[in-house]
This record gives sequence, C-alpha cells and structure tokens, in this order.
Amino acid sequence: MTGPPDDCLARNEWICGEYLSTRRQILLDAVLQHLQLTGISVLIGLVLAVPLAVLARRWRWSAAPVLAVTTILYTIPSLAMFSLLLPVYGLSASLVVAGLVLYSLTLLVRNILAGLRAVPEETRQAARGMGYGPIRLLLTVELPLAVPAAMAGLRVATVSAVSLVTVGAIVGFGGLGNLIYSGMNTYFKAQVLTASVLCVVIAVVADVLLLGIQRLLTPWTRAARS
Amino acid sequence: MKRPLALTTVLLLAGCTTGPSLETQEEVTAPPGDSHHLTIGSAGFTESDLLAQMYALLLDKAGYKTSLLTVANRELYEPALESGQIDVVPEYAATFADWLNAKTHGADAAPVGSPDLGATMGALRELAAPRGLTVLDAGRAVDQNAFAVSASYARKHGLRTLGDLGASGLRVRLAAGDECVQRPYCEPGLKKTYGIRVTAVDPKGVGTTQAKRAVQSGEDQLVLTTTTDATLPGFGLVLLADDKHLQNADYVVPVVNRSRAGGKGAAAALDRLNDVLTTADLASMNEQVDSWRRLAKDVARSYLRDKGLLR
Repeated sequence: MTGPPDDCLARNEWICGEYLSTRRQILLDAVLQHLQLTGISVLIGLVLAVPLAVLARRWRWSAAPVLAVTTILYTIPSLAMFSLLLPVYGLSASLVVAGLVLYSLTLLVRNILAGLRAVPEETRQAARGMGYGPIRLLLTVELPLAVPAAMAGLRVATVSAVSLVTVGAIVGFGGLGNLIYSGMNTYFKAQVLTASVLCVVIAVVADVLLLGIQRLLTPWTRAARS
Repeated sequence: MKRPLALTTVLLLAGCTTGPSLETQEEVTAPPGDSHHLTIGSAGFTESDLLAQMYALLLDKAGYKTSLLTVANRELYEPALESGQIDVVPEYAATFADWLNAKTHGADAAPVGSPDLGATMGALRELAAPRGLTVLDAGRAVDQNAFAVSASYARKHGLRTLGDLGASGLRVRLAAGDECVQRPYCEPGLKKTYGIRVTAVDPKGVGTTQAKRAVQSGEDQLVLTTTTDATLPGFGLVLLADDKHLQNADYVVPVVNRSRAGGKGAAAALDRLNDVLTTADLASMNEQVDSWRRLAKDVARSYLRDKGLLR
C-alpha cells in the first residue's frame, strides 16, 4: 500500500458505513460482552441485595450499617475500585463483574428496603389475622408489594451498570468500552460515536424491558389506575 | 431457607472466579515451559496492538492457540505477565528495563536503560529473570525519541544528522514537551552531546500535530517525536539521525512468562519477526492503523504475508 485509501475511514468521518461493514463482528462481540457483564452483575447484585434488605428490615439495628457500607462502596471511584479488586481477581471478567456488583448494591438495597418499609401496617396485620406465618408473609405479601420500589432501583442499577462496564476497558473487559477507549486514543470518530450510541441503545432497551417486566409482575397497579 | 441458599450461590460464584493463587507463584522458579494456549498482551496503543497481533499470527502458525488481551498500562499487565495470566508482551528494551529497575530498587534508582543495546539487554535480563520473565532477542525495529526538521530547512543547510545540525552552528527553537528542558535525551543532551544551540523549548508536546505544524510553518525549527512516526512526510518533515547515540536503546523485544512460554517453540516463532521488521515498517503500519484506520489485525497479517512469514 502506498497512498492513503479514499474512504470515510481514512477521512475520519463521524458516521461511516465502511466502519460498520468492516467491524461488524467486532461490534457484535463487544455488544455481547457488554450485555453479559451487565446482566451477570445486576443478577448477582439482586441475589445479594434481597437478603440484605430483608435482614435490614427484620432487625432494625442492622439497617444503618448495611446502608452505610453499601453507600460507602458506591463512593469509591470506578478506576480505584478495579485497581483494589485486581489482586483478588486478576485480569478477568470477574474483576469487572465484582466491581459492578458492589456498585449495584447501594441502589438495590436502598430501594428494596424502601419498598418493604412502605408495606402498610394494616396489610401486614390483615395477613397475620388470616394466619400467615412470617415467611409466608414475607414471600406472598411483603416482597410482592415491594416490587414497584425494587424495580425502580433495579432499573437505575441496570442503566448505571451499562455505563460503568465501559471502565472495564482498562483490563480489557469493557464491552463497548474497549472500542471507545481505543477510539479515543487515535481520535477515531466513527468508532467512538458508534460504540457510544450502542451503549445508549442498550441502556434504553434494558430500561424499557424492565419496565415491561414490572408491569407483568404488578398487574394490580394497572387495575387500580383503570 | 431462601437467604442461606442465595448467599451460598454467591460464595460459590466468587470461589470459582478468583485470580492468581499461591501455587502459580511457585512456577516462577520452574523450568521453561511450553504451554499450548498462549495469551498475548497489548498495552492498548497502536504499535503495541500491531506487535501483539503479529506475535499472535506467528504463534498461531507455529501451532499454538492464542488469544489477545488489551490492558491499559504496564502497571496492570506486568504483574499479570509474572503470574502467567498473560504469556507474551511486546516491550521496549530500555523503557522496560528502567521500569523493572524502579519496581525492584525504588523510583530513585539510577537508570539502567542506555543507548547501548547490549548493556541495556543485559540489565533487562538480569531484572526480568528473578520475576520468571524471559526477554527474547531484539530485532532491528526501535521506537525511540527522535528529532525532525523541515525538509526544505534540511536541504538548505545540508543537514542529515543531529551532528550536522550541531556543526552548522544554527540557532534552533525546539518544539517538545515541557519536561524536555530537564531530560538528558532532550535539550541538555542536544546541547552537550551535539553542541546544538537550542534557543528555547516551545512546550507543544511530544510529536503532537501542533508541534509539527510549528516546524512546518517555520515558527520552530526542530521537533521532538519518535522514530516510528509515519506522519512526518505529511508535514514536510524529515528525521535527523542520532549519529552520536543520545537516545536509549528502545528496541522492540518480546517478553514472555518463562514457565508458560519460555520454551524453544515460542522463541523460534517470535524470532522470525526480527529478521524482517524494521523501524520504517513499524512506522508504515502505525500510519495504516492511525491515519487510514485499517484494522491492526489486517495490517499485521498483510505485512507478514508480504514478508513471506505467513501464507
């Protein structure tokens, strides 16, 4: 090759069809990695957050320390978080997942706890009056009634995880973040724009999907409105 | 019931995913190994990507299975190289020697990287061996600091080397980073080693577009950049040779984890690149990726095919 080829890649245009056609597989892989990292992190976060919130609700003294610890975790800058976890996890996808799980805890625990606390005392007493034991009360009355608040937390946690995954690029596991970082280093406009737009699309689609799930899980909220 | 189950699941997940353990640290003293699957690290900038891709293609051809991992910087990939999470990394001899030296002996240790390639490689291997790292042989390609002038200026004053510039007695303004006034390879070295009359350092950064434009327009006369910078002709600039060897020997060297890739097979595969790769080749490949925005993998493959190292 001698002279520069004349295409939108060499001209460094923001929107470039050749970028999409030559990097299709790379973009697809990055989106898949992004979805996996986000999905696994939020799921593990949820699995951890539900018992923590129930615990904080049951024993009032534990609420303050649980909220304090998860909030402090949230204030750790993401670059520092990944560096701190590096000796434990090494350079791996689990390093990024672990960091994201810790971040999602704050939003999830707070919102689930708020949902549980918002269950009216009369409702609880009515259930007890019908002979519900504590576990049945939790599973069939309190947790379902906490779903709207919990889902609000889950949606914010998911959207913020979608954006935080990109920081994983410093260890090579950042989904679309890998492309954004390498594009920024070489001022590659089409790559930065395409990867960023895909990030936003993932966040919006995830949010809409979770909203749909929330509606399916809480049919009574719609019945009340109509 | 629900809570203990959930916690157990998470603990199990965490257990499966932990990183380097004590047993892998033992392998540092183990004999050279020849693992079938090798992970090649890239430091995330274009030249490092290109070298990593070429290493991967050559190792693939030699029958290894390879994967690539891009890591932001040396602070992150060097420990991974020691632990065997990464097996092969493209490095620069003098820079890596000084980095390991600072890691081993503290930030204030006297530098071991020098313009002498033999001495630098000796020091580098001495520092790398106790960490379980093997430094393979250096080829001809070198990415070091270099100085350029405009082609017309060079023609007018008959300049080909920095020595010529010193002998000419010309007064030059130097476009470089602001640290240039202190670094021995920069302003002090130009004055002492070459007798070049530097009137001022214009802090426009190392090899930035503004720095090159300043020399193109005649605002400055000399610009600090690197030997693998392929954009110089675009600015009408030419490099002046470092004929008195002021710059450190930052030759490209593959560094491998000895217990996983220290065997003859990997070394032989990677050595083949040393016979062909020149500084100009690297510059041209950098340009194809940085300016033409080709994929590093495609550029690396077509280069190796051109040189007959790959079919």
